[in-house]
Amino acid sequence: MTAAAGVHPEQILTDLRELWTSLARDQADGGGVLRACAMTLAVTAGDASDAELVRRTLGVLMHSHPSRAIIVRDVVGGAGGTIGGGADGQVGNGAGAPGPGAAVQQMEAHIFAECWKPFGSNQQICSEGIEITPGAGAPGNGGMAEVARFIVPLRAPDLPFVLWRRGALGRDNRRYDALLALADKIIFDTFDAPDAAGALTYMRALQTAGRRVGDLNWTRLSGWREVIAHLFDDVALDPDAVTSANVSYGGGRLTTSALYIAAWIRSALPGAPVIVDAVNAPAREPGGLVSVEFTSASDRLALRRAEGDCVEVTGAGRNYHSALPPVNVEELMREELGLLGRDPVYERVLAA
Amino acid sequence: MAATEEILAANPFADALRFERRVPECAMVIFGANGDLTKRKLLPALYQLAHDRRLPAAFSIIGNSRTPMSDEAFREKMRESVKQFLDDGPFSDELWGRMAPNIHYVAGDMSDPAMYRAVAEKVVEIEQPNVLFYLSTQPSYYGPVVDGLGSASMGESRPGAFRRLVIEKPFGHDLESARALNARIHAVFEENEVYRIDHYLGKETVQNILAFRFGNGIFEPLWNRRYVNHVQITAAESIGVEGRGGYYQEAGALRDMIQNHLLQVMATVAMEPSAVFEPDAVRDERAKLLRSVKIVTPEEVPQYAVAGQYRGFRDEPGVRPDSQTETFAAATFFVDNWRWAGVPFFIRTGKKLPKRATEIAIQFNMPPLSLFTAHATSEPQPSLLILRIQPEEGISLRFQSKQPGSGMRLRPVSMDFNYGASFGERSPSAYETLLVDALTGDATLYTRQDMVEASWKVVEPILNDWAARQQEFPNYDPGTWGPAKADHMLLRLGYRWRNS
Repeated sequence: MTAAAGVHPEQILTDLRELWTSLARDQADGGGVLRACAMTLAVTAGDASDAELVRRTLGVLMHSHPSRAIIVRDVVGGAGGTIGGGADGQVGNGAGAPGPGAAVQQMEAHIFAECWKPFGSNQQICSEGIEITPGAGAPGNGGMAEVARFIVPLRAPDLPFVLWRRGALGRDNRRYDALLALADKIIFDTFDAPDAAGALTYMRALQTAGRRVGDLNWTRLSGWREVIAHLFDDVALDPDAVTSANVSYGGGRLTTSALYIAAWIRSALPGAPVIVDAVNAPAREPGGLVSVEFTSASDRLALRRAEGDCVEVTGAGRNYHSALPPVNVEELMREELGLLGRDPVYERVLAA
Repeated sequence: MAATEEILAANPFADALRFERRVPECAMVIFGANGDLTKRKLLPALYQLAHDRRLPAAFSIIGNSRTPMSDEAFREKMRESVKQFLDDGPFSDELWGRMAPNIHYVAGDMSDPAMYRAVAEKVVEIEQPNVLFYLSTQPSYYGPVVDGLGSASMGESRPGAFRRLVIEKPFGHDLESARALNARIHAVFEENEVYRIDHYLGKETVQNILAFRFGNGIFEPLWNRRYVNHVQITAAESIGVEGRGGYYQEAGALRDMIQNHLLQVMATVAMEPSAVFEPDAVRDERAKLLRSVKIVTPEEVPQYAVAGQYRGFRDEPGVRPDSQTETFAAATFFVDNWRWAGVPFFIRTGKKLPKRATEIAIQFNMPPLSLFTAHATSEPQPSLLILRIQPEEGISLRFQSKQPGSGMRLRPVSMDFNYGASFGERSPSAYETLLVDALTGDATLYTRQDMVEASWKVVEPILNDWAARQQEFPNYDPGTWGPAKADHMLLRLGYRWRNS
């Protein structure tokens, strides 16, 4: 459901109340409507089709993490689908000037509800959302600062505020500072960061400044990491006996996946050197991790990405395939939103 | 932080926040695999765990019952059961196709030693190092099955592999038989290998009582005799015995619900905080609470316990026409410790009551001085905290509020927390939770021998009195809140049941 709203936060809140009244009235089968909200989740999005994609993702996420969603459309200059400064370089220069061709317009906002019925239930559960398109008159840092001011009264009171900062990390990171300052947790995705090390440096700086950050590209590694952890649960190798480790990536590009895994192994086995290698192999998965090997004086334990969403484990008396969990963005966000408090392992890895 | 350091010390790659507890490669041997519990609860729970990727790929199930059938026939039967009783989503043929090859069947009588040898051979054949035995049989078979496992040397743990026994309630039918059963079990299994299941403790809302009490700073200071007036625990069912007349006639409401489920719930509500959240530390506190419950004398029983039977129970199949079995039980308990001395805990359960509801109501004392009596339009109402276990799991706080308009008229209002509104999707069923716990060796939500014996001690005087007394049954109509005597039990002490 979408309803036009004024651009004043108070008006949006009034419209949301009316939306709930109408939802309850429209519920014909008598099961009632349950208003569900456990956090405010702000998400950056690009053009209309990107915002629609975000809406669909939120629709899935609401089942496990009901929230007041705030979609921030971040398209300046009317140029199109990317957010946070696309390849055309028209935005994010920090100049605070409108992009070429931008018509001066006011901020716009729409409200919506995402509803679903749990299996076998008569009751409809609904979460609410607000989609904001900043005014084109003040893009750049100033535009996002205006959005941040606008969002403050729209946050669900006394609940965590999570910002899912979509889009590549890069030169226009500073544009989002005002939004970042509001968030209890900021979720990035460094999967396609053109400069993997630079992206980690940026997030490390945020963490050092006291911000709680998460990265969906770290979350993508949970399957790999769990297989490795199980091997050490099973004492396939004695951690103290590991003399070195090797992390290989393919696809011709160093990603944060390889850097994360290497840092994680280093933090777990401080005495063992970890080598990160590019190999001439296709990346079977986003992030390009190809293999991880542990070497001891008497054994070599290898995990290699195999076909069919599997990791092949060989060596140290092991020879089997282990399935990796699905890594679609909904699953990744579901895991990340389940961790709103401290995440000591990730913090340690990011700090390393 | 200390806990994190401990985990890291054991496995430097552990990440307790991200990784699910890992169920090891294991065979689960179900005795009574053709019964209702297996079909309605166990297999659907295992299917759901497989769906959620909580089980290892080679997790095996070995079913046993007397009926001769092939592995294939058993798999088909279980498939139909899962399809019928799965209540959290659609059935997937593809998932079942992956599970089915690891489901096996061994036919045989539970009194026949050859059957246990056959089960042992099957375990060896499928190369599973760890075995969880699940007694889903009639209680009278618990002893023989444990003996049979002992005679086939199947209760002996080996280095690096476990043998565990999960046993359903009832654990005995009185204190003496519970002790005898425990002794028989301990001849084969160590106490730390025995998992006595009480599915109420596996319910999310019951587990949440601990989170609510000990994860928040605002409630625990009020959680004592100074502020709590009394506690009511109600487990009401709107249906009757629904074809279980034969079983129910031997059990009755007190044995079926209060001795186990509701006393465990009461222990969870009233226990002291444990020093750490570890299985034995939590169970020690529950056990201490149960040992603190005042045991009524035979003379006090009529004053503190009421039995009821609904009209029509004696017409149920399998029920004797002169049955003296109670379908309703209510009791008043006091806890003799410094926190709760003098605070009554009223517990009731029954069939054919007006609605299905399980909830705990904690009623707080009235303010010491009533400022608003002159303006009252109705009786002042005490503040009430309601923990709803089923249905519509949640927590409500009822308190007085000013009615809008001129004057100072107060009216009770309710502040509600609903699970669905904050956590969205389904919670795992009690059996999913408890099965994962048993498979991973976490006994926190299972009852221990001393807890079982303590709760039998609490109800035994009541059982003895009711067994010796000719009750005036039937004494309540279906659709009512039980016999009038249950109301009188409270009225005598100056209280009333919450019948809303």
